Amino acid sequence: MSYAFKDFHWANDIRVNEYLLPKTTAEALEMLAEYKGQAQVVSGGTDVIPKLRKRELEVEALVDISRLPGMSDIKQKGDKIILGGLVTHARTVASLLIREKAGVLAEGAARVGSPQIRNMGTVAGNLASGHPAADTSMPLLALNASVTIASTEGERVVDLPQFFQGGNQTAADSRREIITQISFSALGKNQGCCYLRLSKRRALTIAILVLATVVDVDPDEKTIRDAAIAIGPVAPMPFRARDAEEILKGAPVSKEIVERAGDAAYKESTPESSVVWGSDEYKKEMVKVFVRRGLYKALKRAGCPVA
Amino acid sequence: MSTKTHDHKQIKTLTKDKPDLQGLIKTSQMSPSVVGKSIVRTDALSKVTGKLAFGADYSQEGFLHGKILRSPYPHAVIKSIDIEKAKNLSGVAAVLTAEDVPGRNGFGAIIPDQPVICGDKVRFVGDGVALVAAETEKIANQALELIKVEYDLLPPVFDPIEALKEDAPKVHEKGNLLSYNKLRKGDAEKGFAQADVIIERTYKVPFLDHAYLEPDICMAIPQVDGTMLVEGPMQAPFTVRRNINAVLGVPINRVQARQISMGGGFGGKEDSPIDLGCRAAVLAHHTRRPVRIALEREEVTLQTCKRHPMTMKIKIGAKKDGSLVAFEGVIYDEQGAYASLGPVIPPAGGSHIHAMIMMSGPYEIPNVKIDAYLCFTNNPYGGAMRGFGAPQVHVAHEQIIDELAEALGTTPFDIRRRNGLREGSATATGQVLDQSVGLHDTLESCAKAFDWEKKYQDTGYVNEEKTKRRGVGIGMGWYRTSIGTNNDACGANVYVHEDGTVLLSTGITEMGQGSFTVLPQICAEELGVRVEDVRVARPDTDAVPESGPTVGSRSTTLMGNAIILAARQVKKSILEMAAEMLMVPLTRLESRDRRIYDRDNPDTVLEFREAAARCMANGKRLIGQGWWAPPAPSLDPETGQGNPYFVYTYSTHMAEVNVDMETGEVEVTDYVAAFDVGKAINPKALEGQIEGGVAMGLGYALTEEVAIENGYIQNLSLRDYLIPTSLDVPDIKPIILEVENKFGPYGAKGIGEMPNLPATPAILNAIANACGGRVRDLPADPEKVYWAIKEAEIPLD
Amino acid sequence: MKEMEIQFQLNGCDVCVDVPSDTLLVDLLRDTLGLKGTKTGCREGECGACTVLLDDIPVNSCILPAFKVEGRSVTTIEGLTKDDGRLDPIQEAFIQEGAVQCGFCTPGMIMNAKALLGKDPHPEEGKIREAISGVQCRCTGYQKIVQAVKSAGQKMDSTR
Repeated sequence: MSYAFKDFHWANDIRVNEYLLPKTTAEALEMLAEYKGQAQVVSGGTDVIPKLRKRELEVEALVDISRLPGMSDIKQKGDKIILGGLVTHARTVASLLIREKAGVLAEGAARVGSPQIRNMGTVAGNLASGHPAADTSMPLLALNASVTIASTEGERVVDLPQFFQGGNQTAADSRREIITQISFSALGKNQGCCYLRLSKRRALTIAILVLATVVDVDPDEKTIRDAAIAIGPVAPMPFRARDAEEILKGAPVSKEIVERAGDAAYKESTPESSVVWGSDEYKKEMVKVFVRRGLYKALKRAGCPVA
Repeated sequence: MSTKTHDHKQIKTLTKDKPDLQGLIKTSQMSPSVVGKSIVRTDALSKVTGKLAFGADYSQEGFLHGKILRSPYPHAVIKSIDIEKAKNLSGVAAVLTAEDVPGRNGFGAIIPDQPVICGDKVRFVGDGVALVAAETEKIANQALELIKVEYDLLPPVFDPIEALKEDAPKVHEKGNLLSYNKLRKGDAEKGFAQADVIIERTYKVPFLDHAYLEPDICMAIPQVDGTMLVEGPMQAPFTVRRNINAVLGVPINRVQARQISMGGGFGGKEDSPIDLGCRAAVLAHHTRRPVRIALEREEVTLQTCKRHPMTMKIKIGAKKDGSLVAFEGVIYDEQGAYASLGPVIPPAGGSHIHAMIMMSGPYEIPNVKIDAYLCFTNNPYGGAMRGFGAPQVHVAHEQIIDELAEALGTTPFDIRRRNGLREGSATATGQVLDQSVGLHDTLESCAKAFDWEKKYQDTGYVNEEKTKRRGVGIGMGWYRTSIGTNNDACGANVYVHEDGTVLLSTGITEMGQGSFTVLPQICAEELGVRVEDVRVARPDTDAVPESGPTVGSRSTTLMGNAIILAARQVKKSILEMAAEMLMVPLTRLESRDRRIYDRDNPDTVLEFREAAARCMANGKRLIGQGWWAPPAPSLDPETGQGNPYFVYTYSTHMAEVNVDMETGEVEVTDYVAAFDVGKAINPKALEGQIEGGVAMGLGYALTEEVAIENGYIQNLSLRDYLIPTSLDVPDIKPIILEVENKFGPYGAKGIGEMPNLPATPAILNAIANACGGRVRDLPADPEKVYWAIKEAEIPLD
Repeated sequence: MKEMEIQFQLNGCDVCVDVPSDTLLVDLLRDTLGLKGTKTGCREGECGACTVLLDDIPVNSCILPAFKVEGRSVTTIEGLTKDDGRLDPIQEAFIQEGAVQCGFCTPGMIMNAKALLGKDPHPEEGKIREAISGVQCRCTGYQKIVQAVKSAGQKMDSTR
């Protein structure tokens, strides 16, 4: 095994040469382009700054996008909800729109870090960390959200499953690109959602397991039209339990089907063991429990509880 | 091994043995006017305004910044070290290796076995192999990176039991067994023969980090006369001084150690200031400039001492009626890489000895046999942490007593009521407790406040889905006041000025526990002034009498007595002067609340300051020096029998928890903690000690563990070393009981460490009561509880 | 290393200062501006001892680039004491309730309490615990801190 100097020595500084405060997105993108990958986008800074201090991230410049116009709002356009790239966790939690139409995201954002972290940290930043257990990634993944990414080449829209690339990498290269917005369909009638989190303590800690689920039911037939189940960290990136979802689609609401979904999610999860955050075996067992609990709660909220 | 039995009657009881040490408590028939009051902390104002300066808040003007190059390997020989590039970096003032240490290249609280700079080999990940001082921290960091070290790896050992094997890699040349001690009371074998029920269990506890909020910092400032001044947060300035003087190769009087305000210590800042102090001093010695070493949080976790991990094997036997008859225990205490505070300090000091003495719990057991091994490994090193040696064994004895109760078909409450220590009981060391034994009072009052009877019946599922179960648990405990060593003593100086104000000068440090409030209270009470009239001098080895370290829950009791003795010397002059001035016989005078008056005729009165001024004007003594040592500790090295500590504090905790049966998550929902403290000098400050201690015990039970893989700590920062947050700690209801300690100031005994000891097992027992599974290898995090539930496979209602 | 000028309001006073690009707010406050009441315990936003208010919202100043305060207002623990030395009711309550032990987390605790009581002077215990959950305390077990925040709210209300 080889070890780096930074594994045993720490500094109190973040070692960047320039701090840039662009006024427009175009200006920001140009600044990034000029630095040719040696500059990093920073918004709330809650993820980037600690990484710089620990030398887990080394760049020459920071491009602070937090004052770019038009990216701090939460809006509804038709049945779509649009979350600006600069919306903080605290704003998300406080938004009536999100609480009513995407409760699972509000529940997830409420569990990020601490009040101070939620005041600065953004949902887009949480996504961009690529962390397989990020608290808002799972809700957005279950909501089938898509991300708009701006670069000097223009804008593109990436659906979340493709956004996450594993190993804390995402489709948005935060040394060249900016996430300008996140959009997803508002939840409506006959839809229900649930966010669950397992952790060693109740604040200031990453989760052992995070689950977000969204279900769409036919209340008359008592069947599940559609279901989305996102779990982390059970794979190198935020994970959709597709096998479990397939079992649920079109199936009648029943205890048995929920159990089967849990078992399927158990089988398709491949968590890693960690001496601090628990064994793979335990996390897999918890996947089963969480999928079951998440579905019960989401189905109840959708108006179609398991009898 | 010796099976010699020991007649405990040979050990004299302390109160009969040492009548001369009593009587410090009451000076007048009147109720105290300052002691026993919840006076606000003397430092609270400066803390709520942010004005109080901690180490990092001191000016850095003119300071060089010191940094330590650390070993990346747990066990290796240093083949070569190349410092040329680092030396040539602009702004670097010194790059030092082992040969640059001017005196002894070793420090340690007891045995100086830890190199200031490693020369031949490294023994843990984080061992210091070179020191750098530079104009800025950035340059110092760059310089560190330029040093090239070549290592030859040695096979490491990470387990204390493995370390004792013949062919285990040797951490130190003398071998891996640092200390072995034993305790033999009665005849364990015969005891077990009388038992109707015998159970055997093994319990394990991990390394724990103090996680004080203030990272360590130290400043070494060479003085013009050649003295080395070392400043920093430190619990033991005198120990720091005696290490630095040897490391610099100068006499003791050429080193001055000064304590500055401390952002928490919990025992950890007994060791770490020795480490940083020696290293900063060596850098300052070479550069002749002030040097500052400030650790980052991760470095604090990596480099400084931890609570010792232990593996504890126990066999316990009882009769059908629930009375305990025999106890047999083995302790494997992991010291880690260096001796630190671990080894024996005669007669009864040392990590494994403290653990051994307390291992069978606050219970009267006629036959006890314990063997305690303290072993070196290539892990980080163990030091003192709030209860030195005792939190570990509380985890063991309080759990096995519950497990035994279950096997006997009795209750956790009844088995404790039957066997708990009372006045007249003999402890495992044969010490007959002849005074201040309030254990049963704590048990009864805790049960009442907690509503134990009802809650114990009312367990089971708490929700409709039948996923959560409630349970309750008891943790009983005891803890010494003092450290059990022959040199355990305290000195205090009391200076009364001509305006009636007072300077109190002691070596006891303030780390948040409140000694700078409680000690002046005792001083003010004794002199008859107000607490605001007493200023506490900053502990400075140049200016205060030797007081030993601020550890072992000793400050209030030992120093309190020294202060009373010092104050009496001054008070004598003042009252003599007042007698003259008031023309009243000395024996009738009373000093209280800044006034001296005739007890028989209270209108005959004089201001305290008038008498003080007259003393000054007439050359009468206004300085007092008190010195107090507790009754001498004893412990026979062959039998482990004796009076190791002169008094104990007792406690009972009761916890209620909810356990999620499907995930293993635990929530502590109710908590009562009762203590016999002798006398509460400042009840509110005392409550604060209790509440904070319970929170720390909760962390030990549920979340905390320094996770080490092959010598590498996996959770160096506060985001993965998890202490309880405000959302994890329940409402805690403290109960304070006062069973007078005849050796204590106003009857007081120690409380600093005690509160965290019973908290951990109370919660563990509650978990077991709730879910049927028991975690014997801490911490009881959700995963461990989950597997314990699976393993238990108990049919639940 | 580039330097830039920042203007902001600090404890009610206008401040204009040149700072290097890599400056974090906590270092600007402590080293450049001499306000040492704000503490650093971890430098990664975990311990919360560095909490200050940014436009009345609590943030961790140890992970906040200094340039983020441009044109905004910052309140530190020093800003809570009035010019004549009068204390904020929260500071008063921390003293009276015995909520202070080592004092290292105290400024961070008080700043979070300040933000909470500014919005809601009668918070329930759960809300108080939530509001201070981003500040770690190793000494008190949080009990007296929660009590102090509660009693400060009551006091602020009665003097309103």
